[in-house]
Amino acid sequence: MTSPVVEVNNVNKVYGGRAEASYQALDNVSFSIQEGEFVGVMGASGSGKTTLLQAIAALDRVSSGQITIAGTNVTDMKEKELTDFRARRLGFIFQDFNLLENMTVYENIALPLFLQNQKGKSVRESVYRAAEMLGMEDTLSKYPAMISGGQKQRAAAARALVHHPSMILADEPTGALDSGNAKGLLETLQHLNETYDVTTMMVTHDAFSASYCERILFLEDGRLYKEMQRTGSREEFFKQILDEQAEAGKNKL
Amino acid sequence: MLVKLAWNGMKSKRKDYIILLTGLVMSIAIFYMFQTLALNKDFTSDNAMISSMQLVFHVGSFLLAVITFFYLLYTNTFLLSLRQREYGMFLLLGAKKSHLKRLMFLENLLIGTAALVVGIAAGTVLSGITAGMVMGQLGEDLEGYHSFYLPSLVVTLLFFLLLFVVTAVWNHIKLSKVQVLELVHADTTSDRMPSRPKVNIVMMAAGIISLTGGWLSLIFMEQLREKGILSAAILTTLGTYLLFSSLLPVLLKAVKEKGAWKEKGIRAFTLSQLTFRVQNLKKFLATAAMLIALGAGAISGGMAFKNNAPVFAEQAGFYDAVVHNAGPEEEEILDDITFTDAQQYRYKKAGDYTFYLKEDLENQPPKMRTSSGGVKILDNGLPEDRESLADVKAARDPGSEWTRFLQSSFARDYSKKPLIVNRSLYESIDAEEEVVFAGKSDDFMAYHDEFAALDQIKEQKMEAAEGEHYYSQSKYGMYESYQTLATGTVFMGFFLGTAFLAMMASCLMFKVLSGAAGDVPRYRMLQNIGVSRDLLKRSVAAELFIIFLIPAVLGLAHVLIGMNMFSFILLEPYYRIWVSLLVFIVLYFLYYGLTVKMYQGMVLPQRK
Ligand SMILES: Nc1ncnc2c1ncn2[C@@H]1O[C@H](COP(=O)(O)OP(=O)(O)OP(=O)(O)O)[C@@H](O)[C@H]1O
Ligand SMILES: [Mg+2]
Repeated sequence: MTSPVVEVNNVNKVYGGRAEASYQALDNVSFSIQEGEFVGVMGASGSGKTTLLQAIAALDRVSSGQITIAGTNVTDMKEKELTDFRARRLGFIFQDFNLLENMTVYENIALPLFLQNQKGKSVRESVYRAAEMLGMEDTLSKYPAMISGGQKQRAAAARALVHHPSMILADEPTGALDSGNAKGLLETLQHLNETYDVTTMMVTHDAFSASYCERILFLEDGRLYKEMQRTGSREEFFKQILDEQAEAGKNKL
Repeated sequence: MLVKLAWNGMKSKRKDYIILLTGLVMSIAIFYMFQTLALNKDFTSDNAMISSMQLVFHVGSFLLAVITFFYLLYTNTFLLSLRQREYGMFLLLGAKKSHLKRLMFLENLLIGTAALVVGIAAGTVLSGITAGMVMGQLGEDLEGYHSFYLPSLVVTLLFFLLLFVVTAVWNHIKLSKVQVLELVHADTTSDRMPSRPKVNIVMMAAGIISLTGGWLSLIFMEQLREKGILSAAILTTLGTYLLFSSLLPVLLKAVKEKGAWKEKGIRAFTLSQLTFRVQNLKKFLATAAMLIALGAGAISGGMAFKNNAPVFAEQAGFYDAVVHNAGPEEEEILDDITFTDAQQYRYKKAGDYTFYLKEDLENQPPKMRTSSGGVKILDNGLPEDRESLADVKAARDPGSEWTRFLQSSFARDYSKKPLIVNRSLYESIDAEEEVVFAGKSDDFMAYHDEFAALDQIKEQKMEAAEGEHYYSQSKYGMYESYQTLATGTVFMGFFLGTAFLAMMASCLMFKVLSGAAGDVPRYRMLQNIGVSRDLLKRSVAAELFIIFLIPAVLGLAHVLIGMNMFSFILLEPYYRIWVSLLVFIVLYFLYYGLTVKMYQGMVLPQRK
């Protein structure tokens, strides 16, 4: 029996406040994720997907509600513990890559390992393994400014995987990739999820990417309005998602 | 329309513009402050102890002008970097280049005018404050110094207007050459190290040669004189710039390529931060090194003059206290002083002569300071015994060591010639016996107050006794008059020093703050992937430490060698140099701390 590793309870997030016009980006959101689950989050642009992911990683404070990860309430964790939690347990692939342009791709990927004071050969091996999984071996010695958007995205993914986190949060990890590279990345995520039981949460608005998930949460205007569980094959799930998107589109008309 | 857009763009970057303006205002204020001294010939020549003080100021002005020029180019690059993205967008949307150029010119003009007005005002206030502070510290008046001085104002205005025109032309050319996309993607392009090893090696060699030449000029200043000042100023500056430009990138690259060491925590990042901006940094660090050298050198120089007072006084004579016929009041003071040498000599005054008792001089040989600075014990060469006083007078040798010693060290009245006589003749003189006490304390400066009190009593006695006006000056008196004379020089040294250090401070501040904006995303990203704030703070501290350390090392090397420059004016140019160095290091360290704090505040904002 698996246990919930992430629990989100009645979370609200309001941007802005008194002076500026406030905007409710998350509206009473509740759900949980089991250990080793591969969950997708879908929704239109501006529906609050990034906000939700950042709240789970405690990169941003929520306005109210609770988020518990592996039994610890991250909403009132100390900054120091949070930092440590992020560094050791979490791999985060950012929507805007967040690579350090003053370091080579190799150094960017190796950074989480350096931070854990790993050295020498073990670092090199882990970096090469991560790079290989994403087909990045040739770009390791380059600087981010010298590689393409898709390569940057894969480098960011490699950095999120390299230290074997127990949870990966990915924000549109395939947004800048062509279908071949997207497939490679998704298969890598799936492989990690299946072999190492890495809990994965992935934001996407692309039905193909979403079909790799076991379960999908749908967001609209900050509200969680639907959940879909994969029951059959990936192809079937893909069709279901497309149908759901068409349905949502119809409702808008 | 475009003007309005540009104005909005400026407003949205208010913080950066405030930094820019602050930097400009500082540099104008410092330049003006410096000119209030440099151009005020009456003041400098009246108050300086060096006849070539004027030249020192001219060379200083020249250097300050060169540095200001680079500084301005540097701030201008910053201004350009603030605007280029926006200008790129305008161009992309179809604005004419000529229009943009006019816009940029207008912007430069606006900023330049604002900075000039505020800068000169700030300079006037600051120089007033500095003068007041120095006067308060030294308890002396600085007559003839004006914090508002018209010629200085004119020179400052002209100089900066010229610089603004030069930078405007520079921008004009830059904007003409640049491609639209380059502007739009300005943020993502990064200046990488140019791999032109041949040029680099030539530069390195030229740098070493210039620096050696500069240092040699400093070392042989005594022989080269004015020529030396000029060549030292030019060659040292040139060498510093060349060496920093060619050597720093290579050095950092070498460190970065040493694999194992950097693979710890955030070192790779810290090193990358350093390497990445080495291109901009190197010129800047060279400037900082020069400013440190000039600033610390000037303060050291000023202090060396002041420090020189005890040395100078020591040079004047061996005995710290010479007291004639000590009364109870003087005895009491003398009892408080620990003497390593203390002698009493009896004498009688008669007619045009002072007769010293020979056996006193024989039994307790006095000591004197030789012209080379050593100490000589006078234990031989006393004149032979004579039959009568008339014989003694006839045999007087005005050039003998004893005569000179007695005249300069013990004389109460120069009109009375000293003579040495044996006991029988001494007793035959019909005059009251008097006695002079001569003592050398264990530490002259420790009994400053006691010697001052003795001098005061002496003055009173002299006023009371008529016809005695030639009492030889005490060591304390020498010390005091030197101090008075040194005040002006100290003031100038301090002024020069603060001008250069403040210039460097604003340079450093500017560098750090202008870089911080671009660093914010990097630090945020590192925090996002789980680097603790503490670690990032330490990374900032380490990065800035290196930035501060490199120019400090070379700058201090310049100072240590450069103090030779004063060897032909000062008895000991290195006298207690550690005091001024310590002052500098403490100041510098405080400044380092402040910069780190500010930088951390900018790149690591407190999370709500
Ligand atoms: N820092 C912020 N301050 C104010 N409003 C914000 C902030 N960040 C996001 N928002 C607003 O919150 C809403 C949700 O943003 P979020 O980034 O979560 O959207 P998203 O679902 O990730 O969209 P996309 O698919 O385009 O990435 C948006 O309307 C956005 O404008
Ligand atoms: Mg998003």
